Amino acid sequence: MTVDSLFILNTSGTPVIQKHWCDDVSIQRASLVVVPAFTKYLRSFAAMHDAEPVWSAPLDTVCIHIQRKELVYLGIVSQEIPPLEVLELLEGVDQALTEYIGLLSEVTIKENFTTVYQLLSEMVDSGCAVTTDTSVLRGLVPVPSLVNRVIENVSGIGIGTEKRPDVNTSSTPWRAQGIRHTNNEFFVDVVEKIDAIVNSNGSVVSYDVSGDIGCKSRLSGMPDLLLALNQPEVMDDVAFHPCVRINKWENEGVIGFVPPDGQFKLASFHVATDASPRTLPIYVHATTTRQDLARTIELSAEVGQCGGRPIEKVQVRVPLPAQAYNIRVQCKAGTYTVSNGRTSQVEWSMKTLKAGDRSSRLVIQYFVRQSAVTNAAAGNSSPQAVSSDQDMAQEAFVDFEVAGYSVSSIKVDSLKLMRESYKLFKGVRYITKAGSFQVRF
Amino acid sequence: MMNSTIQTNIARLQIMKAKVLAALRKGENYELKTELNSEYKERRKEAVRRVIANMTVGKDVSGLFTDVLKNMHTDDLEIKKLIYLYLINYAKTQPDLVILAINTFVKDAEDTNPLIRALAIRTMGCLHVEEVLDYLCDPLHKCLKDTNPYVRKTAVMCVAKVYDLSVDVAEDNGFVESVREALSDSNSMVVSNAVSALVEMNDMSPHHDVWRLDANTVGKLLTAINECIEWGQIAILETLVDYTPRDEKEAENICERLLPRLQHANGSVVLTTVRLLLKYEKHVHRADLLAQFSKKMVPPLITLLSSDPEIQYVALRNINIILQRHPKLLSKEIRVFFCRYNDPIYVKYEKLDVLVRICSERNTEPLLNELKEYAKEVDMDFVSRAVQAISRLAIRYETAAEKAIKVLLELLETRANHIVQSCMVALQDILRRYPRCFDSLVDGLCEYVDDVNEPEARAALIWILGEYSESVTNISNILTSFLESFLEEEDSGVQLALINAAVKFFLKSPQQGQTLVLKALQTATEKCANPDVRDRAYIYWRLLSADPNAARAVALAEKPAIELENVDLSPQLLEELVNELGCVSSVLQKPARLFVYSLAEKAGVPRDSGISAMGLDDADSVAAGAGDGAGSSSAGIDASNEGEPELLISF
Repeated sequence: MTVDSLFILNTSGTPVIQKHWCDDVSIQRASLVVVPAFTKYLRSFAAMHDAEPVWSAPLDTVCIHIQRKELVYLGIVSQEIPPLEVLELLEGVDQALTEYIGLLSEVTIKENFTTVYQLLSEMVDSGCAVTTDTSVLRGLVPVPSLVNRVIENVSGIGIGTEKRPDVNTSSTPWRAQGIRHTNNEFFVDVVEKIDAIVNSNGSVVSYDVSGDIGCKSRLSGMPDLLLALNQPEVMDDVAFHPCVRINKWENEGVIGFVPPDGQFKLASFHVATDASPRTLPIYVHATTTRQDLARTIELSAEVGQCGGRPIEKVQVRVPLPAQAYNIRVQCKAGTYTVSNGRTSQVEWSMKTLKAGDRSSRLVIQYFVRQSAVTNAAAGNSSPQAVSSDQDMAQEAFVDFEVAGYSVSSIKVDSLKLMRESYKLFKGVRYITKAGSFQVRF
Repeated sequence: MMNSTIQTNIARLQIMKAKVLAALRKGENYELKTELNSEYKERRKEAVRRVIANMTVGKDVSGLFTDVLKNMHTDDLEIKKLIYLYLINYAKTQPDLVILAINTFVKDAEDTNPLIRALAIRTMGCLHVEEVLDYLCDPLHKCLKDTNPYVRKTAVMCVAKVYDLSVDVAEDNGFVESVREALSDSNSMVVSNAVSALVEMNDMSPHHDVWRLDANTVGKLLTAINECIEWGQIAILETLVDYTPRDEKEAENICERLLPRLQHANGSVVLTTVRLLLKYEKHVHRADLLAQFSKKMVPPLITLLSSDPEIQYVALRNINIILQRHPKLLSKEIRVFFCRYNDPIYVKYEKLDVLVRICSERNTEPLLNELKEYAKEVDMDFVSRAVQAISRLAIRYETAAEKAIKVLLELLETRANHIVQSCMVALQDILRRYPRCFDSLVDGLCEYVDDVNEPEARAALIWILGEYSESVTNISNILTSFLESFLEEEDSGVQLALINAAVKFFLKSPQQGQTLVLKALQTATEKCANPDVRDRAYIYWRLLSADPNAARAVALAEKPAIELENVDLSPQLLEELVNELGCVSSVLQKPARLFVYSLAEKAGVPRDSGISAMGLDDADSVAAGAGDGAGSSSAGIDASNEGEPELLISF
């Protein structure tokens, strides 16, 4: 048994739904002692996401949880089991629920609780994860749709019951028999993400490229595909969808598979550190100046190396320190917004940024609340005293997308169809995106 | 006339009130009862939904048992599932009534729809009622031989539930044997479920004799694993942990067949595979193979670090343990562990730990620059840990000391309160480690005399001043000013440091220091309330008056070089945790026998007897305590607790 109980809580830590696979005493313990204690633990953090995902709770239990949007998924464990298994399961539950219900919240979960229960009992049997694959689940639990509900309520006939759910028991559990499409199409998306930290002097502190090969398959019958890449050796760690034959990849470096129908992630990969030339598609420079109480940050963005393509969806986020007020922004290109939460943040967006654009600049100016400055200047040592360094914004987060460019220069060489004789329409797209892209000032 | 109308109205109102009250008394359950017996299918269906909804929020709907049961015979799969859910919930409290449902179960177990067959058999197992056992045997036999693998895999799991209720029934009916046979099933889902069921039964049986892994079975499982989905793979991999290969050849073979598992998107598959490799590689001696294993392990571990923060956390906790076994494994990958501004704090702490651990002499410079960036962040705890990491690096690598001190001095210049405190302590450690190497900087530290307001930092600065009194220009003034607030000092550590510093200063320059040391000793012996401080002062006083040379030998003695504080686990605990790599114990970094109840009993660890008696409030306060402690435990491994498991038991 992996998990004893599974709870879905709202953000204030109140259970919305619970399911148990343990005996009565443990159920009582979990709901009367462990969950209240866990709630208290969550609330002890100023920012809830700082709560450790694996927490040793009272009564010899361990609470393992993830936080996704408005919900907290909690697994309670009393055995020596791998927490990653629980984390992956909870993640799977979140994904399955999202696919079935759409936008997840306390309200939508409650509205669809029968679906949630059906899903949970298929996904976990006697505390062990059985399946999280939504294409399998769809065969077992009907997807609730608004239309179904309406018809059911009006006519009194449940149409969900007419289409009998089927169990796929073939040797390819991810693909049902007898799929038909009028147009046979197969699309490949190679999406690469750059994680980087760039220092104030422009030097790259950390640089990491990882990517996904996403596919959309609309093929009839039982197609067998062979996908070849131009330089598979660049990928130093590849994780495949279960449909891929690992041995073929190991021996021949090609990806052979019978694809599931619809959208799926064929592979995710990591680009070898020594193979990537550490090129940045975009450069964001910042100069900071301070004068009395005024602080000024001048930002400029420039196209770097990205195969001569324009950069799209550029977004630069600058979190401002807590003591900033009277924020003024001048913007020469694109648009900006200033959001005021607990701390303020300036967000600068540009639809496209082309090579040679010299005008893309943004100037942020703000004032620092005086109390903080005098404290620091006088060397006053009250615990709240803040250094002069900390009233300056520290960094910017950059988001962008470059269509048609692969930073690792991985390309799909060929895609061959076997076992089926129809003509196949194929398409390949490359996108390079920012992952966690941070520029320090 | 008026009166009588009013009276009739009042009478009417009273009747209404009585009706309302009656309705309220009967409550929602009464209404549901009517609905459940409605002649309209849709209303019954909605009523069942409402019953289950009430059940799940903890309302007692057990009184509706018979009414719910009436709806059990339906073609609607959703309603069937919900009613089964209801039965599982209340079967234990009303086992007699469950018998009423048996007929439907038995019939469903022979339905043409495999989903319904599986559902029936699964639910009958989940009921966990002995009364059902007699009726369960026949359908279970059939389902174990079902043509549909979905039904077979469900039936296999059901056997473990039967075994839990009655070992005899499970053995005598040959169910356990059927599960063993299921290991050779053509469908991989059935195989992996059979493995799960056997492991579960093995744990339940007192002598663990339900199943023993032999070479033959291991081979079979390793073949089946290629076909399995992720969860099946995990089940099989976890079983292999208990297997000891017969010889080196077999260990090599198993490892090689495990390697492809490292290429899985599921982090748990990856980490369990790493665990197995670390376990089996002890039996392997071929250097080329070992090198290959290590090389293959690195990329997937790195990939885990680009997953969700929760997964990163577990990965980092485990990497921390792996590194104690293979210190060089990730030394080229140091940059992957650099903290990001938006990492949750628990990830940052773990990354810091790993960074210091894997840093080699070559890359101290970039790491020190990086740590300097962290020291500018807002979170004060993180800042002080970053500064601490700087001193740890300097203590470990002599070549890094100079750069570390430069960084610390730069940080001091920011004059941010919390940074100054941590830096001062860090500087003390470094100066202690490399005596007489950095005399020139001490004078500059006097600037911060007014900034050190934490006792620990103040004690650190005073220690530095005493140790390097000859390099400080107005040492006498500074120590005198510290001495003036001697009695207000709340922390005896600072007072002790001050007495030591005064004595050292006097011994080094008797003329300037005489008045100061006298004043210090006088204040301490006459006015100080703390006996430790008083005693120390008396000892120095007598020593100085009896034999100044002896005093010199004591106070200015050559100090033993300090070592890096012990952050490694004890070899014994490390061995235990590597074996349990990826499991709860390796994340909490305490062995399983301390928190898994059954293991604890076996190991004879003394435990709180009053676990179930523990009230809600108690548990809450314990939980809050543990929450507070969470920060310190993630800082590294709490070495002090290792030897004394008793301390940890009542967490």
